[in-house]
Amino acid sequence: MTTTGKTRQGGALALTAGRLVAAAATALAVAGGLVLTSVMLVTCASVIGRAFFNSPILGDFELVEAGCAIAVFAFLPYCQLKGGHITVDIVSDALGSRKRRVLAMLNEAVFAAVAGLLAWRAMLGGIDLWRYGETSMMLQIPIWWMFLVVVPALALLCVVCLLRLYLVKTGEHL
Amino acid sequence: MSGVTLALVLFGALLALIALAMPIGVAMLLVGGFGYIMLSGVGPLLHHLSSAPYAQAATYSLSVIPLFILMGQFATHAGLSAGLFNAANAWLGHRRGGIAMSAIGACAGFGAICGSSMATAATMAHVSLPEMRRFKYSGALASGVLAAGGTLGILIPPSVILVIYALLTEQSIGKLFIAAVVPGMLAAVGYMLAVAVYVRLYPEAGPAGPRAPFASRLRSLLEMGPVIGIFALVIGGIYAGWFTPTEGAAIGAAGTGILAVLHGGLRWGGFVECLKGTAKLTAMIFLILIGADLYNSFLALSQLPMTAARVIGDSGLPPMAVLAIILLFYLVMGCLMDSLSMILLTVPIFHPVIVGLDFGMSAEEVSLWFGILVLIVVEVGLITPPLGMNVFVINSFAPDIPITQAFRGVVPFLAADAVRVVLLVAFPSLTLGVLAWMGSLP
Repeated sequence: MTTTGKTRQGGALALTAGRLVAAAATALAVAGGLVLTSVMLVTCASVIGRAFFNSPILGDFELVEAGCAIAVFAFLPYCQLKGGHITVDIVSDALGSRKRRVLAMLNEAVFAAVAGLLAWRAMLGGIDLWRYGETSMMLQIPIWWMFLVVVPALALLCVVCLLRLYLVKTGEHL
Repeated sequence: MSGVTLALVLFGALLALIALAMPIGVAMLLVGGFGYIMLSGVGPLLHHLSSAPYAQAATYSLSVIPLFILMGQFATHAGLSAGLFNAANAWLGHRRGGIAMSAIGACAGFGAICGSSMATAATMAHVSLPEMRRFKYSGALASGVLAAGGTLGILIPPSVILVIYALLTEQSIGKLFIAAVVPGMLAAVGYMLAVAVYVRLYPEAGPAGPRAPFASRLRSLLEMGPVIGIFALVIGGIYAGWFTPTEGAAIGAAGTGILAVLHGGLRWGGFVECLKGTAKLTAMIFLILIGADLYNSFLALSQLPMTAARVIGDSGLPPMAVLAIILLFYLVMGCLMDSLSMILLTVPIFHPVIVGLDFGMSAEEVSLWFGILVLIVVEVGLITPPLGMNVFVINSFAPDIPITQAFRGVVPFLAADAVRVVLLVAFPSLTLGVLAWMGSLP
């Protein structure tokens, strides 16, 4: 097989991997959305229970906090995948296409590093919570359970940044 | 280097990174982290990062944000925009410029259940732009009115920006929402007057439509019932203390979701689209919140906010002059930065300054009043060049209207904004009157 053939094959492999990453980020976001919808339903049930039957759901605040936190982290990779984070593009729009690409790659690299750092720290934080067996007040939910979503979501965010870096570099699309 | 100098230097660095198209939340994390290291060391920063981002996302009072966003997403799928627009059009459409005024009225109604400006602009453009084109409205007026009307999404509660302001300044979300109602209605009326003046000057820009018979006018009001019901339940319930803001948002989201299913024909595919839209907006806001949390931790360590409050308090400038300078600063910055980042970066500095000055009101009153003023001036940035996001949203619906013409169409509404800000500064009771009347200000 020729060299070009090999690179093309490598490129195709990278694109397939990229599509898998994109599918994972989308699935995670929708799953997070379903968690948020559950939070909404639980809260409504609790308010109705409190207002009409004098029996709110025990620990509903904790479910809301945990559910929303899970949803927020689950949303992060998808938002980056879609380029949804706020940037100011006046300077970059004024640059030539080559410089603009370099700038975009730098920004993706920085974001990947920051996301990686956050994932690493969250993992250590989660391990601490697991070791000390910290739980929520009312429902005794172990806090570290939440980190089973938080850490992979941050790691996926890092991968999505790298994927976008690759796409900018090669000029390819998923 | 003292903490204050460091904070000023790093603020410059932050602006530079933002100008280089780094996502604003990432820039805040980077600069805030660097400052944190300079003032406390690497160890404390690493320790901070292992718990703070999760703690931020798991804060009960912040849970209100994703739920309000979900509510807004359902609202865009609830098929309400056409009903609201037709109702307003039945009453106003026969006037000169009437269709543009109806678009404003419909935006105001939609803003009552949606807390996002761009979503409001996009949703209303979908129904009212074709109508304005059919009656040969000028491109400038048609896009200007929708871009400006979109800002009502955030000026009229519920509003994500007000929630953030409330959390930063420890004010009650319910009171801020109530305080925003009269200024929001003033905004809608002011924009309608701007249309009226504009078509008086340029009659060919907005010809009158046909007159609707009285019976269909009355029938059109029914369309507004569900929107008014949800708005009154959510805002009233939060204010009255029947439920927390988060619970109010959950109820509002559920109500709007039911409406979307029954009235808007929302099915599984649309529901997934709502979830994806919620994911994008929520993640965008929380990345900035997580970044701003670190940046503001560093800012507090640097003691810049306290120093600024002391220096300005001792400077002998009249309070109104300080307020004017701050509002002008927001107007200028708003042309370059998004409103949320601006609020998160500056309110921790400006709020203590303003509350420390003597406006002849209690600290709580000043705080609520300042919040509404800031909300208005930062939103002006959504319709000014070069980054007026609302104008770009409208432009994507009508690419044949040149963007320069669209920005020219915004001018009358900027004038209305200016008049409104002056009125609200001169008469704080416009903002605080309803709360005082309800007896909830000491």
